[in-house]
Amino acid sequence: MCYKKEYDVIIIGAGPSGVKSALTCSKKGLKVLIIDSNGNSGGQIYRAPPKSYIKKSEKTFEENLIQLKFSEDLTKNNIDTAYNHTVWQVSPGFKIDAFNENGTIQWNTKNLIVATGTYEKIIPFDGWTTPGVIGLAACTILLKAHQTLPGNKIVLAGNGPLLISVAYYILKFGGKVDAIVDTSSKFEWIKSMISLIFNPKNFIQGISWILKIIFSRVPIYSNSLINKVSKKENGISVEIQNIKNKQIKKLTTEVLAVGHGLTPSTDISRLLKINHSYDDLKGGWIPKLDKYFKSSMKGLYIVGDGSGISGAIAAEEKGELAAYSILKDLKLIDETEFENNTSKVIKKLKRYEIFAKGIAKLNATPKSLIENISNNTVICRCEDITKKDIIHAAENGARNLNQIKSWTRFGMGPCQGRTCQYSVAKIASEHLRCNIKDLGYLTGRTPLRPFPLDKAIGDFEYEEITKVEAAPL
Amino acid sequence: MNNIDIAVIGGGINGSSTALHLAKNGLKVCVIDKDSICRGASGVNAGTLTMHMTRAKLIPFAKKGWELWMNTEKWLSNNIDVKKKNGLCLAFTEEEEKLLNERSQIRKEYGADINIISKSEALKIDPNINNKIKCAAFCEMDGYVSANQTGDAYTKALKENNVEIVENFEVSKINNLNNNYEIIDLHGGKINAKKIVLAAGVYLEKILKLVDINIKIKCFPQQLIVTERMPELLKTVITVAHGKLSLKQFENGTVLIGGGWPGKGNIENGYNETIPENLIGNMRLACHAIPNLKNSRVSRVWLGLEAETDDAMPIIGELPNLKNAFIIGSIHSGYTSGPYMGKLLSEKILGNDVDLSLFDIRRLMN
Repeated sequence: MCYKKEYDVIIIGAGPSGVKSALTCSKKGLKVLIIDSNGNSGGQIYRAPPKSYIKKSEKTFEENLIQLKFSEDLTKNNIDTAYNHTVWQVSPGFKIDAFNENGTIQWNTKNLIVATGTYEKIIPFDGWTTPGVIGLAACTILLKAHQTLPGNKIVLAGNGPLLISVAYYILKFGGKVDAIVDTSSKFEWIKSMISLIFNPKNFIQGISWILKIIFSRVPIYSNSLINKVSKKENGISVEIQNIKNKQIKKLTTEVLAVGHGLTPSTDISRLLKINHSYDDLKGGWIPKLDKYFKSSMKGLYIVGDGSGISGAIAAEEKGELAAYSILKDLKLIDETEFENNTSKVIKKLKRYEIFAKGIAKLNATPKSLIENISNNTVICRCEDITKKDIIHAAENGARNLNQIKSWTRFGMGPCQGRTCQYSVAKIASEHLRCNIKDLGYLTGRTPLRPFPLDKAIGDFEYEEITKVEAAPL
Repeated sequence: MNNIDIAVIGGGINGSSTALHLAKNGLKVCVIDKDSICRGASGVNAGTLTMHMTRAKLIPFAKKGWELWMNTEKWLSNNIDVKKKNGLCLAFTEEEEKLLNERSQIRKEYGADINIISKSEALKIDPNINNKIKCAAFCEMDGYVSANQTGDAYTKALKENNVEIVENFEVSKINNLNNNYEIIDLHGGKINAKKIVLAAGVYLEKILKLVDINIKIKCFPQQLIVTERMPELLKTVITVAHGKLSLKQFENGTVLIGGGWPGKGNIENGYNETIPENLIGNMRLACHAIPNLKNSRVSRVWLGLEAETDDAMPIIGELPNLKNAFIIGSIHSGYTSGPYMGKLLSEKILGNDVDLSLFDIRRLMN
């Protein structure tokens, strides 16, 4: 594709929120570019199979159909798409720097919509780095986009709705779920069901999934967590512990998929120094936005689950609201049209958010999950930082996440704390007996994703780089 | 907080070193910082301890600083990683060769043990360097510190020596009362001390205004780049003739690329951002020096703010027209020399005969 240098609107992330905002903007004639590191639109929820993938089964998911519709709509509306491009830097103004297989590229825009979704929270436990332990969300990608089972026998652990959906897909593919280990109680599930009436579509889907799990007689361990995992000759040994009575049950399985909910991806908003606030029911730190998802920085919008977790359907509404706000600012729609269009969307969104908050309660992190981590367990996998190292920094006087990062090196590796930031904050706040909010959040840093040096430097002549003035003697 | 002999404003390497040496001599010291100990440039710089990039006139001080860094367990703490390494400064063109010869000669005259070596000798010392070099300058007195640990190490040492640490205290007013200074922060907090030391790094200009001294302190936002953990890629600390590169591999395998390529920074609101073209320039120079480096990935980029006076020389010593007030800052290669400069100033404050005339602030005041 031949890209322009400048666009009216650039959207980072081609999930439901990004696609919806792209379509809404382009319908009024704006020149739109949508960028994604994946090979196609759809985000994680409607992720398309890789291009090289040969379909193994005749099963088509509803998700795949939605993705195909996204692709079709984007093409029909002449929206430029930059797939397989990883954004590594965003600067105010806005300059967006990305790289792909061939090298680097920079685009400019006055209106930037960030729709970068979420990443998975996994609270560590003894043996969580053992081969055979994967994330619940990673498991969904394997199942839905690749139509591949991670193993034949699987234990699912953690909390929240992903446990149910992953179990459903595994069973659908003929896999065996050895156990579901849930930190929540059955009572908490029933309570959360009340909020489901605000989202009937998800309600019906959820009930059908649960019924399938019940009919398949999958053992469910409520109020329980994974105490320990160790490698065995033919798989892994999983130790399940009941939070209340501390009873332990041992199982041997092939794969353990574990996840403790999702957290908004705030990499770009933190990099641009937008203020953030903490909201446990929205997944943690979220950027401060108005009701049209506009940030305090002119032209910057943050939509989808990256603005606070509320699910794929609500993500579309958020993308649409941001698009209307841009159209109004550019005087492509008048005040009346803006009000008419947005008021309906805001109403719908409110209902979805009540539903999302109800579900989010299932993702609360019980204290025992943190207490159970032993001192020598690695929390930051990039830099091999253990629970002991974090506690040591807190004991020596580190009082916020950035200081703990500096003293221990946690979060300094390729993932920049995406995997461990939440767990480190939980460990430190438990130890210091302070609110997790008081520890702040990690300063945003480029590159937003690890940046291969060979791609960055491209071909060059030595003379080109030495035009710099020599340092004074 | 009462009976403070000396309040040090600014808990970076200069202020913290001064405070530490004063406390070791029995004074009651407090260190005040708007953020926390060594969270500014002192904690985010490249940690290079090289003579190849040090300003010639400061070589004698940098050498003393280097010695102190090599013996941190004796005066600071044992929880900071310091490594002695050989230092190679590379020249890739004839022009650079000439520059390297000139500069190394001058640094040598100031006491640095730097020698020009041939291409084959340099490749023997570190086979990883680009074999297109013309020649190199060699110095045994080189190495690095893991600068991110500076805050941890100094906090520990200051506490052990009973220095009061006051963090998140942004000084907004300094009242000079009779034989006493009253230091007030944005929220009305007050600290009284008999003497003060101003060590606020890039914020010195602002702090000096509070005692009616107006001089210009320039602020240079500098970019740093670090790769993911890699197998051995280089054995030495690498610099280049024109001084725009520093390169080293830490024990954990990460390679740090520095050299003072500017980013954008604003000391008023602390906002800073990188300049992609400068990052790429810096990376190209690094990959030119160590070709195998291009097989790694950059995992993080950040900025530090360097302070510089109009003549690029430090300001250390007594403040004119004020009693019992001192200053330390704007030291080029300040991370290397900081511990020694702090020690020098502490001796001056203790009344010892120390010659700091080279760094007198009056040269910058008209």
